[in-house]
Amino acid sequence: MTPQARGFVFERIAGSRVVATPAALDAACWPPDALAWRLAPDEVFVTTAISREVVDDPHAIIEPDGGFVGVWVDAGRALDFLERSCQWELPDERPAWAQGAVAGLPVKLWIEPDRVWIVVPAPYARDLEERLS
Amino acid sequence: MSGDPAPRLVVDGRSVDFSDGDTVLVALLKNNLHPTGGGCLCLAGDCPHCLATVDGVAYVRTCQVTARAGMVVDSQPRRDHPPFPADQSPAQNAVARHLFCDVVVIGLSDSGRAAAASYGGRRVITLDAAAGQEVIGIYPGPLVVARTATGMLHVHPRDEIVVATGAAEIQPVAPGNNLRGLVTARAASRLHAAGIDLGRVVAVGVPPPGVDTEQIDGKVIRFDGDDGPDARVRAVVVRDGAGVEHRIACDTVSLGLGLQPRDALARMAGGMKVRAVGSAAGHGDVPPCPKSGAVCHCCDVTVRDLESAYERGFHELELVKRATLAGTGACQGTTCVPHLRSFLASRGGPLPAPFTARPVTRQLTFLEASAGAYHRATPRTALDDEHRRGGAVMDRLGGWWRPWTYGDALGEYWAVREAVSLGDVSTLGKLRVSGPDALELLERLYPTKVSTISPGRARYALLLDDRGYVLDDGMICRDTDTRFTLTFTSGGSSTAEMWVRDWAETWGLDVRILNQTMSVGAINVTGPRATELLARAGLEDPPKHLHHATATIASVPCHIFRLSFTGEVSYELHHSSAHSVTLWRRLLDFGRDLGCRPHGLETLLRLRLEKGHIVVGQDTDFDSTPRRINHEWAVKLEKPDFVGKQALLRTNKTALDRQLAGLAMDGPAPHEGALIWSGSAHVGYVTSSAFSPALGRSVMLGWLALSEGRLPDDVTIDGRPARRTPTPFYDPAGARLRV
Repeated sequence: MTPQARGFVFERIAGSRVVATPAALDAACWPPDALAWRLAPDEVFVTTAISREVVDDPHAIIEPDGGFVGVWVDAGRALDFLERSCQWELPDERPAWAQGAVAGLPVKLWIEPDRVWIVVPAPYARDLEERLS
Repeated sequence: MSGDPAPRLVVDGRSVDFSDGDTVLVALLKNNLHPTGGGCLCLAGDCPHCLATVDGVAYVRTCQVTARAGMVVDSQPRRDHPPFPADQSPAQNAVARHLFCDVVVIGLSDSGRAAAASYGGRRVITLDAAAGQEVIGIYPGPLVVARTATGMLHVHPRDEIVVATGAAEIQPVAPGNNLRGLVTARAASRLHAAGIDLGRVVAVGVPPPGVDTEQIDGKVIRFDGDDGPDARVRAVVVRDGAGVEHRIACDTVSLGLGLQPRDALARMAGGMKVRAVGSAAGHGDVPPCPKSGAVCHCCDVTVRDLESAYERGFHELELVKRATLAGTGACQGTTCVPHLRSFLASRGGPLPAPFTARPVTRQLTFLEASAGAYHRATPRTALDDEHRRGGAVMDRLGGWWRPWTYGDALGEYWAVREAVSLGDVSTLGKLRVSGPDALELLERLYPTKVSTISPGRARYALLLDDRGYVLDDGMICRDTDTRFTLTFTSGGSSTAEMWVRDWAETWGLDVRILNQTMSVGAINVTGPRATELLARAGLEDPPKHLHHATATIASVPCHIFRLSFTGEVSYELHHSSAHSVTLWRRLLDFGRDLGCRPHGLETLLRLRLEKGHIVVGQDTDFDSTPRRINHEWAVKLEKPDFVGKQALLRTNKTALDRQLAGLAMDGPAPHEGALIWSGSAHVGYVTSSAFSPALGRSVMLGWLALSEGRLPDDVTIDGRPARRTPTPFYDPAGARLRV
């Protein structure tokens, strides 16, 4: 499902979800060319495939994941949207990672100086696309 | 000199001109019109006397709105609410902009500017009605909400809110205070400055700067004027210090009766860090006790009404407010509160503090009130577009958009019973649990004996709450000794996840939990030819019933669960939702000559009912125990412990009062919810009902009350006979699903 109306093209994000002890996640060295988002103390989403050796936890759950979709939006437009739809304060530093309710949806943000990657679980892509427009 | 005609407003259908910069109120007064017919005008947005409907928006303070050409102004009914807008079509999205700062300063009076300047180095946002940012409320958070011409502002201050909104002028309470020609002192100055001829002006109290007036002293007794609506003041009657009344003829009465802090915003922010400054922080003047006349024009409350409430025992300000509704109208007490306080103080008590203020201080449109709010989104599976393209009737079920039918429910039914069919079950809750304590966690959570589930096997299980009531149901699938996959109902998965996580944390168990509901798709391949279809798609070694395995199906890696909700051979193919469309299409292609077609939820619910499978939430109630739903087989009370066990042991000692039972009858299926009768006694109701094409009769699940320890065998539903029937109704031995 890749909604493409009104200029927003959501792309599935191929990555991995890793659930392990917080200590193991703290110590993990993620591939340098990938983004690693700490979704929770015990969960990381990495934008690439992850092998078991990366995480020092024999009981870690490491699953390939295509459940998120994202759209890159230029910073001006994105921040204008976020000002209207985000009831929490965005981080000031760049790049920055943030997550929370945006426009009533569970959104994750990767904020770069000139653009913002707006990411949402794929089942909410249509709703986000409508609310972005 | 421009030859352009003067811009014009439409006021109650009449075209009137105005000058650039005029407010709507000034434009009306220049044309000898009054928005409400009379009352003391303040020109500061405090009083209710200039309210009108402007461009379809009711309760607009016309003194605060600059006139624009073509603007449509309508008077509002004096003793009724304005009508709802005729156009009820959905408006554009309501916009709310969220701003974050350290300090919010409301009002840019001198004290407000000074306060703003005092926070050097901190992020300060100033909001001022005169600049088009009218603050209408302060909410916990704290959150300051203001409206602007382009939408709402939601300002989130981290440290402090400063209210510097100044003071409002006190309004007169005396007979005739609803006449035209009454203005506060500040309003008189402003109207004069706007070029409005006030005629002969009599000033009571503080005189209006810059206006020629006849100053009189004394207490206002009444205002005399013409009779009838829109009547003008002709004279003011005052009583001097010697008790002598004086009647002074006039065209306008300027009333400088004192000030009261405009502090409603500060009063609504109890418990929050809010500070009033300047005259907003003052105690205000106390007017003389009102003797007669209207006190609250918004709610039509007179002094006599106050006296009546007082005589009935309402002696506190909050009670008087509730008894008379004074202070609950359009101006939210700005006009009447000083007089209410004076009224009560004059009867012997201390001067009461103004009553608690609550958002909002101004009337809002629905659009403004809903700004920034979003309706709850309903998620869609990865196959949503496929379903819609396939002609599915979609509905919101179990919290998701799901296909109800593809237009031929009977055809879908027979495809499952006689051939093979696909169902999108991606909405099922899916949880992975791993860790050295994973088995311990599940053993404590579930009433079934989890340790007896071997790796590669799966088992149906109830999930109970600590009172022994059914919370959800689903499958426990063991992947390895320390790793499990759990499934839950679509509608119950969020609660179930919280339940599992909460208990894991409470017990301090060493487990990892991953919710894959949103990221893993699931397709149910079901029907007597399901195995044949999957063989074509690459499944060489299909798992047996209640087993699971991994395999690649149609080039898509899948976790295959062999279980059945339909009563036929079934395989749930769990896979990355990124591949759902590919897998769905390929399976349909592989099965085309087998009669493969998708089925919707209408069919699935009929199929499961034939098997007697419950749907938690539909067939269960908030207090359904395993015994009541006839699922004691799913509970192993000999286990040392599990959530709900103690409650079951206790409640099992009581007599069973009602039970979920299977029912069957000839003819069409009754509505779900239909009452069940035994003779003339109401004994229960139907929870699930469908006509079974395979059985040629209607089958149901329903709650039945026991009488003398027995369930009734023969009952009446919709006036027709029905009989209690063991479940499963279809293939009781389960031979078909084990093929």
